[in-house]
Amino acid sequence: MVKSLKLKDIVLIGMMSAILVTVQVALSFIPNIELVHLLIILYTLVFGRKTIYIIYVFVILEGFIYGVHLWWINYLYIWTILYILVHFIKGKNSSILWAIVSGFFGLGFGALCSIPYFFIGGPSTGIAYWISGIPFDLIHGISNFILTLLLFRPLYHCLHWINQHFTT
Amino acid sequence: MEQKNSKLKLLIGGIVLVALIAVMLGIYLNSRPETNAGSKNIVVEVRIPEEDSKEFKINTDAEYLREALDEINLIKGDESAYGFFITEVNGRTANSDNQEWWLITKGGEDIMVGVNDIVISDGDHYELTLVIGY
Repeated sequence: MVKSLKLKDIVLIGMMSAILVTVQVALSFIPNIELVHLLIILYTLVFGRKTIYIIYVFVILEGFIYGVHLWWINYLYIWTILYILVHFIKGKNSSILWAIVSGFFGLGFGALCSIPYFFIGGPSTGIAYWISGIPFDLIHGISNFILTLLLFRPLYHCLHWINQHFTT
Repeated sequence: MEQKNSKLKLLIGGIVLVALIAVMLGIYLNSRPETNAGSKNIVVEVRIPEEDSKEFKINTDAEYLREALDEINLIKGDESAYGFFITEVNGRTANSDNQEWWLITKGGEDIMVGVNDIVISDGDHYELTLVIGY
């Protein structure tokens, strides 16, 4: 049975989505260095299923800001895949573990983004798109690893504190 | 014992991550097209909606399209973290307020890399098309 959202949950979803958008826009000038993945990992660990709402509010707002293009279609499933992945691994709060997960996610980001190209232009187009983006995927994977290693613990404690004091 | 196991799993995860980086780097470097030395003739067609298209025949020793286009000062643009972004072709600036942008194709086919990475061969035909709408 689907539980209805309380007013506090709606406020929380709005605030956390706003943080995601702000962080994304603030770092948008550096290609493939982002904190969205880390926040989604943390949100999933701390806020659980509410993260799905946060992800889709974020995706809709991104569409309003930048317009709806092919990358936006990618956003419809990429962050949800990360959410599902975190759900499977959930249970341990080791920053090294999540840094490794973030690294894999960054390295695989281009492959996930190439999925629509397999449908649009066939396998050769999809593979060509993925290969041409490998330098960006490498930057993405390595930066994800470093950022998560450095920021996971402090941000986790911060969000955990918010969750305990705000939603109970 | 359990802590030892989890450390081992993390170590394996770290090794696989590094291996994946190496594999991806290898795929990228091995899949890069070889450049062609020597003289070559290419044609660049500039297409603007509701205008006649113009063809530029370029004889060049350049290995990449960007160099060949720069030799005849056909394009201008901005260097960005994502590569070179063409803003002007043959004096016609793409007006971003009207959602105009320049598309590069080769024989009508989309190209998946930026102008700096397009390897040219003798007899190539490229199209620079002003597209309206993102």
